[in-house]
Amino acid sequence: MHEMPLIYVGGIPIDLSAVLMLVISSVIVFALVMLSVRNLSVENPSKLQNFMEWVVEFVQGLISSAMDLKKGKPYISLGLTLILFIFVSNLLGLPFSFITEAHEPVHIFGHVIEATKNLTHGEHVEILWYKSPTADINVTAGLAIVVFVLMNYLGIKLNGKHYFKHYIEPFPIFLPLNIIENLAKPVALAIRLFANIFAGEVLITVILKLGIFSIPFLAVWQGFSIFVGALQAFIFTILTMVYIAQMTIHEEEAH
Amino acid sequence: MTIVWTNILFSIIAFGILYFLLSKFAFSKLFGIMEKRREMVLQQMDEAAKTREQAVAYVEEQKQALQQARQEAQAIIQQSQVTSNNQVDKLLDQAKAEATRLKDEAVRDIESEKNKAVEALRSELGTASVRIASKLLEKEVKADGEQEQLVDQYLKEVGGRP
Repeated sequence: MHEMPLIYVGGIPIDLSAVLMLVISSVIVFALVMLSVRNLSVENPSKLQNFMEWVVEFVQGLISSAMDLKKGKPYISLGLTLILFIFVSNLLGLPFSFITEAHEPVHIFGHVIEATKNLTHGEHVEILWYKSPTADINVTAGLAIVVFVLMNYLGIKLNGKHYFKHYIEPFPIFLPLNIIENLAKPVALAIRLFANIFAGEVLITVILKLGIFSIPFLAVWQGFSIFVGALQAFIFTILTMVYIAQMTIHEEEAH
Repeated sequence: MTIVWTNILFSIIAFGILYFLLSKFAFSKLFGIMEKRREMVLQQMDEAAKTREQAVAYVEEQKQALQQARQEAQAIIQQSQVTSNNQVDKLLDQAKAEATRLKDEAVRDIESEKNKAVEALRSELGTASVRIASKLLEKEVKADGEQEQLVDQYLKEVGGRP
């Protein structure tokens, strides 16, 4: 099992790997988008601009399948950021990972890495530095919490008393069930994304143990992982939009 | 997997910053451009429709102009036919009149020439017969008015038979 490079700065735990990967994928997404909007043109769009417009239209399609596009317009930016960030994050861990082997306590920035603290002579731990950020449940949980907070906030703001009424429908006795349902949404989001990407990376590690024979399997699995990464980004985004639509749009027919 | 609460926090912050930066610097511009393109396409389609309408109207106009020109040409041809017919009639009439006139003139000329010739012949014959008679009757004929009258009457009878 690979350990995370965790350090304590003044009692606050910091996972250097997660920070590094979040920064890398954020920078990649930002650079990609900024490159694509560098020379915006109405008449003669560049290839990258065309690609980005295709992504925008894709997200618009996602949103319009969940809610009226007029109401969904403010969420296009959110959906775009989500899908790009998750897709890039999912792909980051595919080409390689970066692991160091530590035989004694390792210090970094003047702090000791937790996993190597109690190493005695002869023992060693492998520290995973470079991986998909979405292969860490903390990161997917963070994204899910963003979605959870956002959808409940939007529900209260835009739907008012209907939002609260939904908790005691169809009968007040359903209240705990409805609360669990609401809480299960972000948990499911976080675990689904994490598990898919993490399993993909674990399987890559396992396949690599085959040595030279791993190449065909690896090729197949890498290709499939790209598909899974895109699919999971798609699922995360469309579920976000569906949840927001459920929370914000009050339909009379539903009661 | 271990739960590290700062990781959750970091990912929320990273996502928030990314969302903020992208929507501020990139997406608003991109959406603006896409909206502009949509408008441009709509406008171009509108323009195309308008141009087509204009073209149809123009073709219609041209058709009418052609029709009118055709009608005018027809009218001109008919008019020229009428005019030329008139001209022909007039010329024919003129020619006929001219011919009649020439004929009449000729007849008159002939008549007058004949009369002149008859007159001249008559006087010639008169004098010649008188001379002959005088030569024949030199002795017995005098300058008698009765005989001269007889001769004249005779001559008239001769001249009266053309």
